[in-house]
Amino acid sequence: MNETYLEEVLELIWTVEEESGKVDIDVLLKRIQVPKAERQIKTLAQNGLIKITNKSVAFTKQGRTNAQVIIRRHRLAERLLNDVLAVKEDTMNSSACQFEHFLDEEVTASICTLLGHPTSCPHGRAIPPGNCCKNASKEIRPVVMPLTELRPGDTAKISYIVTKCHQRLDKLSSIGLLPGIQIKLHQRQPTYVIQMGETQIALDNTTARDIYVRLI
Amino acid sequence: MSGNGKNTYKIALVGNPNVGKSVIFGLLTGKYVTVSNYPGTTVEVSRGICKGLNGHTEIIDTPGANSLIPLSEDERVARDMLLEDYEKHVVQVLDAKNLRRGLLITTQIAEMGLPAVLVLNMWDELLDKGMNVNITTLQKALGIPVIKTIATHRVGISTLLTSIPSAAVSNFSINYGNIIEEGIKQIQNVLHISTRANKRALAIMLLSGDEALEDTLRGKLTHDSFKNIQRIRHNVQKHFRNPLSYEINIKRAHFVDALVERVTTTSTKKRESHPFMRGVFFYFLVPAVSFLIGYKLMTLLAFLVSSWFQPGDNAYFAASCIAGGISSLCFSWYIYSRERKTKSTLSEILGSITMHPVAAFPILIVILWGVYKLVGAFGAGTCVDFFESKIFGSALTPSGGFDIAIPIPFFDTSYTITHVNFQGFNYYCGLLAQKMVSKDNILFELFLHEQFGLIQVGLTYAIAIVFPIVGFFFLAFGILEDSGYLPRLAVMVDKIFKRIGLNGKAILPMVLGLGCDTMATLTTRILNTKKERVIATLLLALAIPCSAQLGVIAGVLGRFSGMFFAIYIFIIGTQLLFVGYLSSKVLPGEPSDFIMEIPPFRMPKLSNVFIKTFYRIHWFLKEAVPLFLIGTLVLFVATKIGVLSIVERVVSPVIKNFLGLPLETTHGFILGFLRRDYGAVSIFNTLEENAGSDGIDPRQLLVALVVITLFIPCLANFFVMIKERGLKNAFLMFAFILPYSILIGGIVRFVLQQFS
Repeated sequence: MNETYLEEVLELIWTVEEESGKVDIDVLLKRIQVPKAERQIKTLAQNGLIKITNKSVAFTKQGRTNAQVIIRRHRLAERLLNDVLAVKEDTMNSSACQFEHFLDEEVTASICTLLGHPTSCPHGRAIPPGNCCKNASKEIRPVVMPLTELRPGDTAKISYIVTKCHQRLDKLSSIGLLPGIQIKLHQRQPTYVIQMGETQIALDNTTARDIYVRLI
Repeated sequence: MSGNGKNTYKIALVGNPNVGKSVIFGLLTGKYVTVSNYPGTTVEVSRGICKGLNGHTEIIDTPGANSLIPLSEDERVARDMLLEDYEKHVVQVLDAKNLRRGLLITTQIAEMGLPAVLVLNMWDELLDKGMNVNITTLQKALGIPVIKTIATHRVGISTLLTSIPSAAVSNFSINYGNIIEEGIKQIQNVLHISTRANKRALAIMLLSGDEALEDTLRGKLTHDSFKNIQRIRHNVQKHFRNPLSYEINIKRAHFVDALVERVTTTSTKKRESHPFMRGVFFYFLVPAVSFLIGYKLMTLLAFLVSSWFQPGDNAYFAASCIAGGISSLCFSWYIYSRERKTKSTLSEILGSITMHPVAAFPILIVILWGVYKLVGAFGAGTCVDFFESKIFGSALTPSGGFDIAIPIPFFDTSYTITHVNFQGFNYYCGLLAQKMVSKDNILFELFLHEQFGLIQVGLTYAIAIVFPIVGFFFLAFGILEDSGYLPRLAVMVDKIFKRIGLNGKAILPMVLGLGCDTMATLTTRILNTKKERVIATLLLALAIPCSAQLGVIAGVLGRFSGMFFAIYIFIIGTQLLFVGYLSSKVLPGEPSDFIMEIPPFRMPKLSNVFIKTFYRIHWFLKEAVPLFLIGTLVLFVATKIGVLSIVERVVSPVIKNFLGLPLETTHGFILGFLRRDYGAVSIFNTLEENAGSDGIDPRQLLVALVVITLFIPCLANFFVMIKERGLKNAFLMFAFILPYSILIGGIVRFVLQQFS
């Protein structure tokens, strides 16, 4: 259990650093929610993951690498829960916290690939790239990606539609473009044209960008 | 249902766009409504009496809708009709090969508790695709009669007729899950209204956030009930991340997907084009047609810069041939390498090449050229000349008759069969009139005066000048419509139209506007937002010349040089973009998304094209001839009592000094308000008379034509604008267009003077 707490603290340090650029130990203690906070921080410093100088906390090289992995898992988990599983916001936050502790390297990479190597979490924070992301551009195409990434002739299944625009969602769903439907990209220019069953549908760029598909 | 009202139901035709509702309506009523191959042909409800039933059952055709929770005005028309308070049987037409999309509506009709019959139309296309639908299973699952038809070939219509009386209320219902179901129940409890419509259906619509329905209910429900409904909706929404309407649609789609799975079977064998046809297509048609495209493009280019090239020049011929060769090579190679191995049918290949990002544009230009040749050159030139000078002629001078001749190709001669000694309708009228009154008499002038006689000018202009032009335009337009080419144009122009606050869909009213702006203004209903409808209406009124006018203008300008026509197109085109851009910035609101279905490319059915053209011409003549006569009469009275000269004096500084036109063109501008084309003709004739033997100054002509094109719309169009956009908006547009058109005319004159 102790391990879990340490990870939580590392994660918090990362977040605070991301928000304000530096980590003040008082701020950290105020926001920390795990028991025996000061001891946890001390343990991290003993393990050589952080350095404390003049009340200011900084990652060591090892510490940064560790924290990056945890943050990456957490935010990928959020994306997965939010986009694919459509879990509600409060459930998403608590589940993501649990996810980050038991995902191993391989599973993380597959989730990342599945989601199309996303670069930000649902709250808009950056997801640190892993090895799979670096190779992605040349080696494998992501499994889930916006429709705009498809090549003409590709067949794909709609995974989810992310849009803030209510009208767009209604319009798409009323013509039957819904998750689970198989489509084929016919052309990309001058506008996107997709084939759904026996219907050809033209979509503009803004709409196509909101439709995430999974290659098959 | 009351005892004696057993048969007093109405039949409502509903369904997705472009599934053939109007064809079936025509077959059931014997009444013609416009039928074409693109979504949105019907924007209004049409009514007729159903033949074959008891003789007094009314049948109603509605605009296509993808959902009964409306997202555009035409969808709303369809939905509201279903909610109206009378007994009705719904005939839902769906495209058999797109069963899933049609059934999404079926579920909504079932929820409304309306007795329905399902029509699986285009059964032949379904079979061609190698698919099949098990009618019996579908019928059992839905609990309503299901009929297969091929409406364009009249197959299955009689079965449909006999099953309409036995329409049944579908017995299935969809469970939307506990949370939503609870919300539906709560809303049902606060809906204290007496309506024939099913309350559960209304509750689902309200839960989906149907604003149009809230408007309709506003008078019937108390303020508190509305508050309650909003509160319930809000509470249900809290449980979902996505909008409720989306959640509801997903539930429906799951239900429908399962059903479709059960009833459809697909064999992989798809009907292909005959190998021989494929051979002809790949090795002959494509190279030949694309050679023509390249050749014509070069010719057009040369025409526009005709000061460098003389037609008949060797260089000119060679350049055209080279362009043809290049085009032929590119097209053939591209199509061959891409499609030779695929199993696409020829119409699928044509369908995709006409919206190809590069290849589609030369095709478009050549299609436009073809339409121009038919409408502008043949219709507005040859036919108008013949009708105007030979058939109608002049009241005072005989036309001299004409020859019936067969042209002999390649020899520049023709074989004359006979000479017809017909001196012109007006001439005979004139002779007849002179038997009773002298030609100075006011009665003679009223009918046969050279400039404002009702027959000599009003009737002759309407029939001899406008009729052939409009007729040929509608013919060409009908072919384009039925082939499915127009929606492909929408794909091509979407990016440009986004700049002017519209989306690609707006090309449909715009192109139709080239036929008749009045009709087109009605069609703006297919656009999704109010902002788009306002912009489209404004642009139609301002910058889209109708076919009659365009035909006259192209004919007139073409006589001088292609250069002038090109300048004309350039000016009008930039005005279209400029005003569109400005209004997209000024008007509030967001542009809507471009999401549009593209119908398959089909061989147009000539009989439908001709019938459609006939009805449109019929409509046009009914509309135009009275307006022409009224216009001429107004002009006659105005001249006789001297109003015209007063108006001329008032506007003379503008017309003469600012635009540099002869004062008499004022007639034309006034007439332009009655019919735009009429104005153009009148201005051209005035300029021609004024110039005498020197010939018209083309620059003057260009200024006049630019102004009359941009000028205020014709009376009929103005009435429709008031009806569609409201009195205030229509007058605002009017007040903008009037000075703006003159301003642009002045600028054009100024610029042209610099280049003299």
